[in-house]
Order: sequence, then structure tokens, then C-alpha cells
Amino acid sequence: MANKDEKDNNAQTAANPLSRKLNKILETRLDNDKEMLEALKALSIFFTENNLRSRRNLRSDIEKRSLAINEEFLSAFQAVKEQLDSVYSDVQAMNECCQDMTNRLKAAKAKTHHLISQTTSLHNESQKLQLREQVANAFLEKFQLKPDEIKILRGTRDGGLHADFFKALAKVKQIHSDCKFLLRTNHQTAGLEIMESMALHQESAYERLYRWTQNQCRQVTQDTPDVSYLLCQAVEALQDRPVLLKYSLDEFGKARRSAVVRGFIDALTRGGPGGTPRPIELHSHDPLRYVGDMLAWLHQSSASEKEYLQSLVKNCSANVIQLEEILGNITEGVCTPFKVRVEQVLVSEQDPVILYKLDNLLKFYHHTITQIISSEAALLTTVAEIQDLSHRMFFNSLTSHANRLLDKVELPPPDLGATSSLTQTLQLLRDVLACHDASVVRIDDKKQDYKQILACVIDPLLQMCSVSASRLNAVDMAAYMVNSIHLMNTTLSLYEFTDARLEMLNAQTEAHLDTLVSEQASYILNRVGLAQMYGSIQQHRPEHGPLSSISGLDEIAIKSAMNKFDSYLAQPDSLTLPQCSLILSSTVRASAKKRSVELVCQAYKQIYNAIIDPKNNYRDGQNIVPRTPEQVVHLLM
Amino acid sequence: MAAGPYNYSYIFKYIIIGDMGVGKSCLLHQFTEKKFMADCPHTIGVEFGTRIIEVASQKIKLQIWDTAGQERFRAVTRSYYRGAAGALMVYDITRRSTYNHLSSWLTDARNLTNPNTVIFLIGNKCDLDAQRDVTYEEAKQFAEENGLMFLECSAKTGENVEDAFLDTAKKIYQNIQDGSLDLNAAESGVQHKPATPRNPINTDQPPNKEGCAC
Repeated sequence: MANKDEKDNNAQTAANPLSRKLNKILETRLDNDKEMLEALKALSIFFTENNLRSRRNLRSDIEKRSLAINEEFLSAFQAVKEQLDSVYSDVQAMNECCQDMTNRLKAAKAKTHHLISQTTSLHNESQKLQLREQVANAFLEKFQLKPDEIKILRGTRDGGLHADFFKALAKVKQIHSDCKFLLRTNHQTAGLEIMESMALHQESAYERLYRWTQNQCRQVTQDTPDVSYLLCQAVEALQDRPVLLKYSLDEFGKARRSAVVRGFIDALTRGGPGGTPRPIELHSHDPLRYVGDMLAWLHQSSASEKEYLQSLVKNCSANVIQLEEILGNITEGVCTPFKVRVEQVLVSEQDPVILYKLDNLLKFYHHTITQIISSEAALLTTVAEIQDLSHRMFFNSLTSHANRLLDKVELPPPDLGATSSLTQTLQLLRDVLACHDASVVRIDDKKQDYKQILACVIDPLLQMCSVSASRLNAVDMAAYMVNSIHLMNTTLSLYEFTDARLEMLNAQTEAHLDTLVSEQASYILNRVGLAQMYGSIQQHRPEHGPLSSISGLDEIAIKSAMNKFDSYLAQPDSLTLPQCSLILSSTVRASAKKRSVELVCQAYKQIYNAIIDPKNNYRDGQNIVPRTPEQVVHLLM
Repeated sequence: MAAGPYNYSYIFKYIIIGDMGVGKSCLLHQFTEKKFMADCPHTIGVEFGTRIIEVASQKIKLQIWDTAGQERFRAVTRSYYRGAAGALMVYDITRRSTYNHLSSWLTDARNLTNPNTVIFLIGNKCDLDAQRDVTYEEAKQFAEENGLMFLECSAKTGENVEDAFLDTAKKIYQNIQDGSLDLNAAESGVQHKPATPRNPINTDQPPNKEGCAC
């Protein structure tokens, strides 16, 4: 119904302006018009009394209120404005201030520009100088000694040596050699100056080092020298001054030499602690032990000395050091005490066996010590001299023994065996040759020695036998000689290098044996009565006519001889010469027997052949000589 | 500071004895070179070897004299017993005769050395156990009866070789510590040597040892 009313109203109002206006007012929605609401709210504050007067004055009231508000506004903004003005003035002042500062800075900058550039240039210069300083320091480091190094080189007043001495010395040397590089550059003056000063340092350092080393070397007189590391280094460093090194090592050698002599004398006379090992001289009654102990001591101490010396020069290059020479000097001191003692032993010793053993011992040690020290060293020449002496003493002793044999020749014993002097001498020879077996020398020496020994003994022995046999008859002499030579033979055949001698002796035996055999054969033939017949048959020539006609060769004579011969054949040993049975060697005896029997058989064969020869006119040859030569040989052999 | 082989405090002298062919030189070679020498020639007279060892952190130099076993050298080798601190007496476990000769070697060793000399019995060639001719127990008993130290070793394989030489040195060192071995005696077979180099400042003084060394 309301909508219809409104439609109606709208239609009416549309036509009427008033209604339109009214409508407009009516249409106005107050709820939505905030401004209106605010205005009305504000109005409601002061418009408290709704009366005419107030309605009339409303406008002016509102205007008054508006005015008051504006005035309030004005005053409020007046304060703001004033504050803004003060801010403005402040900013203004700041600006001015800043402007001023800028200007001043500009001015200052302009002023300092010079300073800065100066600073920069100074800085650059300083860097350059620093670099130079580094270079200079490096140069000094390389080409100059530090004060403490100089101090080390100069050393302390007492002559002691600092452990860093060698480093400093090596540096001096390095600098000196580096100066050669400097000389090639354009720093020649510096180079020369440094070189000169280094040379001075070097010389004084070497001088000091030499004195120190020499002093140290002088002190190595203990039994076991204390070769310190420092001393080894010193010797190594002194290699650059060969003369100083030589003097130092000579000093070492001298010190060691006296130490070795003292040690040797101690070993000889004092021995070990509480007398064990006993002093060597305590055995001086036993020449071999005495001399052997001395030589062994010398051998051992030579080996030790060589080691000490090697430890001293271990850092040196081998060619600089004359090791052999120094070692020779060290071992030289003991030569005299050693020589005196051994000579005393040799001179007072008579026994050729002991002398020969000593000779061999000396030879052995000469050889052994040669492996340690040079054979030119005094010690070895001394040993060689003494060995030579012992060699001569030995042969002297042998020769005098042989001479004694010839001076007092013994007569052969009745059994034609060896004389006691022969057996004794052969025993001596055996002893001498046997000690060669137990000795320790080389084969060549042995051969040479044997030859000489045999010549020294066998020749006089043979001579002695001949002299002693000279008064005997031929058969006795032959048997005696065969026996004597046989003894020599059996003695020699046990040893090496005697072949030539044996051959000679065998030849002599043969000669004597021949005599003996022919004597034996003729003895048999004589005893059976065949000797004369055999002689006649041998001298018989066909032109003399038949044998049977020659006197003594008649049948009867022959027959009686053959009877005797038969009895010989039955007992062949009955006709052996006593001399033949005195032959000592069974082989020689058998050979003598065999050869004489052969001769007999030969003779018989000749006789037999002559008798059965028809030309010789024996009537019954076969009957006269019933045995054929074959049968005889068979029976006798 | 002092490097190298020469820095030692003592020198001990040894001697090796025993029959020919028991391997004395091979033992020495094995000990000094740590190698086995196959075709070892007969020793002529005496030979010599050294090595530095360490006992109780002391360096000791062993100076070893190896003697020839051949009878003909007996007279020569006897002279080398003088002043030996240690004697190594060697036999061959595969050859009874070498064992049987020990008493004669022992007599020599006792007569010719110090009472303090340490005698060490070594049965060599223990690698050849199959050919053994002398039992361990027997030799051990012999050693005990005679107051010897004893080991079986092999110069070929090196077994126990070090021990034999080192144990001898230890025993000698022990004797020194006990005071039973007088170091100042020239022929004790032991020589003492200060290991540190003498203070350089004192070099002008005469060495202290000199007075008592003889």
C-alpha cells in the first residue's frame, strides 16, 4: 500500500517543483549523510534551547563560532610558523657553517697537496732504502762474518776450540771463494778487500786450529787414545793445509809411538793386573813362547794403532794422508826394545831346532804384520832383519854341528851299522824338518829352506861316512856306506822336496852295492874253485887249442870243482859274505844277493857252455857238468 | 753429536778358539758382516774383526781375534790369549771329536787368560740337527760343571750368533759394574774410553787417565 502511495506522490511531485523539492528533501536519507550528521551533532552542542531567538541567532551564532574556530586556528599556526622560522634560521646557519668548512677544507687541501706529494716521495725513497738495506744485509750475511763468529774463530785465550769453529771456518772459506764471483762483477774493490780480510781470518784460524790439533794430538798417549769428534773434524779441516796436517799427524804419531813403547814395556815387565796375564819376560827361558808373545803383542797393537789412526782420519780423502808412513812411525819405537830382546835370545840359543822354529815364527809374523802395515815400515824391516839373523844363526848352528862331525870322526862299529853321530845327526835333521811341517810359512820358502838344510847336513854326513870308512877294506866299506846311506835315505824319504837328494843317494848306494855284489860273486866262485877256471875260460882263445889241454881245466879239476859247487847249491847261504848279511835294509840285502847269484849263474853258464862245446875236446862234457845253467838258476834263485 | 762408528765407551777384546773347521771364522763373519761365508778358507794364524754393540745403553767396541784351529798354529795362537776379556770356545755339534777336545782348549784358556775372562761355550752348526753328534744336554752339563756360559748357534742361519757375542759382553760389563774387573789394568782386555768429547775449555790440562793407565 505504501508503494502505491509513493507512486502516486511521485507522479504528483514530478509535476510540481515544490513537490519535487519536497521530494528531494524527503528523499534525503539522513542516516547516510555523515556530514549532515556531524553538522547536526555539532549543532546540538550549542543549540540547546529551541526558541525563536535562538533560531534567529543561529546563523550569527554559527558564524561566531566559525570565527572563533578560525581565530583559534590562526593562533595555532602562528606558533607553528614561528617554530618553522627558527628551524629555517638554524638550517641557514648550518649551511653557512658547512659552506665555511668546505671552503676551509678546500684551502687546507690546497695547502697540503705539496706535503702529500713530498710524503709519497719520501715513502718511496724509504722503500728503496729498505730494499737496499736488505740487499746490503744479505751481502753482509754472505760476505762478512758475524761478531760471534769472529769471536769463535779467534777463540778463547786458553786455546780451546768452540764446537762451531768449523762452521765459522767453512763460512770463511765459502766467502773467500765467493769473492771470485764478486771480482767478476763491478765490485772488484769490495771483492778484493773482503778476500783479503777473509784470507787473514782463514790464516789465523788455521794457525789456531793447527795449534789446537797439535796440542790434542800430543795428548793421545793413553793405552786407548780418545779420538774425539772435534779432533776428527780438526783433521778433516786441516786437509786444506797439508803441511799443517802433516805436522799434526806427526805429532799424533809421536804420541802414539811413545804410548806403544810404554805398553810394550809394560806387557814385557809388568803384565796384567795382579800379574795375569803374566809379564812376557817371565817366559824368557822359553825362547819360542817369549818371542812369539812379543810378536803377537806387536801384531795386535799394530792392528789397534791402525784402527785408531783410521778413526782419526776417517773424514779425510784417502790420497791426502800417508797412513802407511804414520803407522810406520808409530810402530817404530818398539823396534829397538824388541830387537834387543830377540837378538839376545838368538845369540844365546844353540839348538838348531829352536833356532829354526824361531826363524819360521819370525817369517810367519813378518807375513802376518805385512797385512797391517807397509813392509817398508821400520817394524817390519826390523822383523825381517831379525829373521835374517835367525836364519843365519840357524844355518851357522847346523854348519857347526856338521863341522863337529868331521872334526871328530867316529870309527865304524863292528856291525858296519850307523855310528852314533850319524843317528844323532839324522835325528836332528828329522827334528828340523818336522818343525817345518808344524810351521806356518809358504811352500816356496819351505822348498828353498829344505834344499839348503839338506846341503848343510847330508853333504857333511856323506863326507864323514867316507872318512870314517877310509880304513876299512872294500867290502866292509861298501857295506858300511850302503848302511849309512840307507839310513839317510829312509830319513829323507818321509819329507817333501827331497827327491833330488834321494836320487843322488840311491846312485851312491848303487855304486857301493856293485862293489859288494862283485865281491860276493867272486868270493863264491873262489870258494867253489871255479874262479880260476872261469878266468882261464874267459881269457881262452880258439887258437890256443882245446880247453881240455890247458892245465887246471882238466876233467878231474873240473869235476872236483863241480862237487864243491854242488855243495854250494845245496846250501847257497853258507857262502854269503858276512858284510852282506850286515846290510840293514832287507830289500838292499835281497838285491845284493840276487845280483851276486846272477853273476855266479852267468859265470857257470859260460863254463858250462865251454865244457860241452865239442871243440874243447872234453870226452864226456855232459857228465862233467851234470847241471844245466837253467837248473842252477832254478836252484839259486 | 759425534755420529759415526767411533763413538764408544769401552773396547772389549775377544778371542775365538776351537778345533779346525768348527766354524770360528764363519761365526765372526756372521757377527761382523751379518752374512754367511760359504767357502771359508782355513785361517792362517790369526785374523781380526771389530763391531760396535750396545750394552746397557753403553756403546762397546768388540775387538775380536779369530785364531786358526789347525794344530800347527797352536804355538802362535797361544800368544793371543793375553788380555782377552772374553773367550768364545767353539765346537761342532756334528763332530764329537771337536767336543772331546774342549777340555784341552779350556785348559789353555784358563792358563793363558785372566781369572775374570768370560768363557763362552758355543756349539756351532745347530742347523744340521739331523747329523747331531753331541746332545744339547750333554754340552750344557759340561758348561755348568766348568762355569761356562753356553749356547748352540748356527753361523749359517745366524741363529743365536748375536746372542753369544752380546751375552759375553753383558757378562763382562756386569763384571765391570761389580768391580771385579779392574779397568785401569793395561791387559784386562777392556779399555775404557770417555764417549763425550772432552770439554774444549779443559784442553790444555793433561789427561787425567795418564797417571793410572799404566
